[in-house]
Amino acid sequence: MKKNSLLKGLMSAAFLLGATLSAHAADTLAAVKAAGTLKVGTETAFAPFDFIDAGEHVGLNVDLFDEIGKELGVKIEWVTLPWDGVFPALEAGKFDVVAGPATITKKRMERYRFTPPLAEATIAILKKAGDQTISKPEDIAGKKIGVGKATSQLDQLKEFSETLPTKADIREYPAFTESYADLAAGRIAGVANSLPNIAFVAKQREGVFEVVLPPFGKKSYFGFIGLKDTDHAPLMDAIDAAMLKIKADGRMATLQKKWFGATFDTPDSVKDPAF
Amino acid sequence: MSFKLFELLLQASIYTVTISIVSILIGFAIAILLSGMLLSLRRHLVLPARIFVSFFRGVPLLVQLLLIYNLLPVIGINVPSVVAAVVGLSLCTAAYQAENLRGGFASVPVGLVESAEMVGLTPGQIFRRIKVPTALRLTLPALVNEAILILKASSLVSVVGIVELTRMAQDLAGSTFLPLQLFASAGLIYLVINWIVALAGGLIERSLPGAPR
Repeated sequence: MKKNSLLKGLMSAAFLLGATLSAHAADTLAAVKAAGTLKVGTETAFAPFDFIDAGEHVGLNVDLFDEIGKELGVKIEWVTLPWDGVFPALEAGKFDVVAGPATITKKRMERYRFTPPLAEATIAILKKAGDQTISKPEDIAGKKIGVGKATSQLDQLKEFSETLPTKADIREYPAFTESYADLAAGRIAGVANSLPNIAFVAKQREGVFEVVLPPFGKKSYFGFIGLKDTDHAPLMDAIDAAMLKIKADGRMATLQKKWFGATFDTPDSVKDPAF
Repeated sequence: MSFKLFELLLQASIYTVTISIVSILIGFAIAILLSGMLLSLRRHLVLPARIFVSFFRGVPLLVQLLLIYNLLPVIGINVPSVVAAVVGLSLCTAAYQAENLRGGFASVPVGLVESAEMVGLTPGQIFRRIKVPTALRLTLPALVNEAILILKASSLVSVVGIVELTRMAQDLAGSTFLPLQLFASAGLIYLVINWIVALAGGLIERSLPGAPR
């Protein structure tokens, strides 16, 4: 009891202080340029965007942010956290922008600012290779399906599950990699994740996993995430401009080909996401 | 599983060991101060120490780490990952070690102190030669226990962005799909580290004055 109120007091004191402090923070772009480094937060369990290969952090995000760094004339410093810790840390100012990426949704747009999309994020099902019981997305009715905690895929899966005769038995995982391990071990029947992610996993583990086509739900896109406040506006504008330039001169397509084995047509900005 | 993967786990365990040992030592220094405060006869010294101990013993380490990492920036203290990890572990272990030390000092037999006074030792000598070695010997097993607990609890610092042994095993399991081999190896590395800690504790225990032969 006592500890609870102590914590509450601490929290509210801290937020009050924070509110007064953030009123006179500096322009982030100037600070990034002065330091010569852009700090980027992400998780490392989201192949092919960010993952650990032979101990090295690699992926589309690493390559793409290298290009963004070149455009801005700064080095990139990575901070890796569990996914549900990334957004609190962004707001705490631990880094300037979040790679991720995250699906651009209405709910997230209220709180955060998105860069131009870098890939499609429409959701699909990954199943065990040779599983005859799932041949289309609707077949997941009543089955155990894994999905990442605090992801938009979870929301989409829930929405889709509501439309089925029997709901899917949704299991939430702290990271998608753990859900893939459980799928391989036969603890769950499928994993719901964005098409680029599961296409990559299925390609990496041919004969173990298979993608169930078509994707379901509404078309959606992946973007990087930043803060909406005025301090961050110049930085986010600069990142947007860099990404559009990278897209226009074909570097984006080259990277998509390298990491997804295919290129995506993405709009230059998403103003009104489908959900 | 290739040797390369095992090597990566060993590299990550350097973080585990370094952060843990630094935290245990800092925690011990704070604990000595705290145990003195807890045993003092002045209320204004006892009370803050009590509050400190009950807070850091009563709030889960995971929550403490997240508070230090995400809440301190709000009041203008933006600590890097390593600092957040060491501060979190140090303060947590300080609370436990302080209680251990307090118990140790409180259990120094009264007869021992009285006979020291009889033979004419000064209070300072009594503290240095009688109380400290006796209390340390009584406390040491509990301190070694605490060190081992902290080494294992250090797996939590991945939430503030440190890729230590457990996190490295998770990351590698995610990209190689060899969870069983990787977690078994990580477990083995923890076991060896803690075995060394226990061995060192035993050596120190036997080297203290007045130890049973």
